[in-house]
Amino acid sequence: MILILSLAVAVLFGSGAYLMLKRDLIRVVVGMVMISNAANLFIMSAGLTRGRAPIHPYPETATVSDPLVQAMTLTAIVISFGISALVLGLVYLVYISHLSLDLEDISDAEELEEAQLERERSPEPEREMV
Amino acid sequence: MLVLPLAIAWFAAVGLIPLHGRVRGVGWLAVACLSATLALTVWLAAVVLGEGPVEMVAGNWPAGVGITLRADALGVTFAVLSLIVLLAALTYEVLAGVRSPTFPALVLFMATGLTGLFLTADVFNFYVFFEISMISAYVLTSYGGRARQIRAASIFAVVNLLGSVLFLIGIAALYHLTGTLDMATIAARGDNIEQNPSILSAAIIFVAFGVKLGLFPFHFWLPPVYTGTRPAVAAILSGALANIGSYGLLRFGANLLPRELELGGTALLLLGTASIVYGALQAISRHAPTEVLAYSSIGQVGYIMIALAVGGRVGYGAAILFAVVNSLNKTLLFLSAGLQGWLVGAVFVVGAFSVAGVPPSAGFFGKLALFQAAIAGESALLITLIFLGGALSFVYMFQVYQRAFWEDTEPETPSPLANRSLVFVLAGLVVGLGAWPEPLLALSRRAAGVLAGGAP
Repeated sequence: MILILSLAVAVLFGSGAYLMLKRDLIRVVVGMVMISNAANLFIMSAGLTRGRAPIHPYPETATVSDPLVQAMTLTAIVISFGISALVLGLVYLVYISHLSLDLEDISDAEELEEAQLERERSPEPEREMV
Repeated sequence: MLVLPLAIAWFAAVGLIPLHGRVRGVGWLAVACLSATLALTVWLAAVVLGEGPVEMVAGNWPAGVGITLRADALGVTFAVLSLIVLLAALTYEVLAGVRSPTFPALVLFMATGLTGLFLTADVFNFYVFFEISMISAYVLTSYGGRARQIRAASIFAVVNLLGSVLFLIGIAALYHLTGTLDMATIAARGDNIEQNPSILSAAIIFVAFGVKLGLFPFHFWLPPVYTGTRPAVAAILSGALANIGSYGLLRFGANLLPRELELGGTALLLLGTASIVYGALQAISRHAPTEVLAYSSIGQVGYIMIALAVGGRVGYGAAILFAVVNSLNKTLLFLSAGLQGWLVGAVFVVGAFSVAGVPPSAGFFGKLALFQAAIAGESALLITLIFLGGALSFVYMFQVYQRAFWEDTEPETPSPLANRSLVFVLAGLVVGLGAWPEPLLALSRRAAGVLAGGAP
């Protein structure tokens, strides 16, 4: 069980990291979602114990599974859900303002803008040369 | 009492969401709520400093079951500092005219997240508050709505999300090792856990906070974000949000995992040195004031690392003092870099001197504490490094000043007088803390006492 879980975490994290290195922003977002799911699974596996469901009236002698990790995972899932929505919104804004989701195009636009700013800042570059 | 500042900021933030933030009255309402939060936190700080740490368990659960909130000298120091920075940035933006309807509410959300994070005694709760402030930071970075800001926000969000996930994994690993989420219990059980996995989780947590701080190998996101955003947001990011990183390293490193921090001392020293040298050299070669400030932030973080690596009461005290002074400096500089007109030059020069550590400013005592830490560490190399870093920062800050304020440019439209007076007040604070440093020094000593484990 432990081996399967750790393999699952590793595969999720690895594929997520691979996707995050892609040039397409949508893939980056998907990679991020996969990595946060790997984290959720990792929290679950941090307190992996066999036992009954931890619902209050249970016999004194029974072993219950750790409820804390489940609560933590639930919180983390909610947070990562909110963040995915937020990041997708951001990606949409990037698309609206650049009409592209390719990171190469976006960094091209950045360079262009920076060159323009540099020109505005120093209108007479020759003066420094003398 | 502990819940009060949190509750005010939280309810104010929720209440402000439906209101249109560009209306002047709404902005001032937000300023009033944030001031109330700050006043209550200062009161809390006075109580903590007078009578010792304040603790409460949420929801009347027995201790050990419920989530604990705990205010000690270290936490309240950072809480008060961050709220001052947020208040300055919010007032600045309200005076200049807010551009987005959600801005005031977001700043209050961030105030909630930061206050909660500094006052919690539960690592998972720390993560939750951390995410509250990070999410508002992601949205704040895109404030302004131009292509540049949106690009900055997307870089910031992607890199820092990865950092947050790493932090979450680190917390889960800590929970697995110690079986608890309570900070005090983790610190108590820290010595009994096996060394290899604990070093691994400490390294993961270190990387997570390193990303937030913009420490040298994780700094790549920082310059485009700090230069791309609006001045008020850059001040918030560098003055308030970066505190998460310094506080987190102090709390998790010095308080919860001191053994691992000691083991990693050499690595911290190396990274800190690399940060200082890299930040200073890059800053010298840049032209635009915001760019220089962004690289200078990378450099300043290195000093905190070095003080942490030296450790002990002196080292932690220096780290805290430097973090406080640095975030005030950066707020002042980022806010004044966006302004024009008379007074601004004088204000900028105060900030610049404070970064370089010239005596009448608070920065002098930050540097002095670092020298003391280096002497305590008995390393001539460290002393040389701090001296060299100071000299380099003097060079680049003066360069910026010369370029921005000495050149005869065409008479530009001066910024509103109210904004200039605000940065002037901030500059007064920096000079005042330098002229009368006793309270600040006492505060950092008390906060370091929390970490070094001695009596406060």
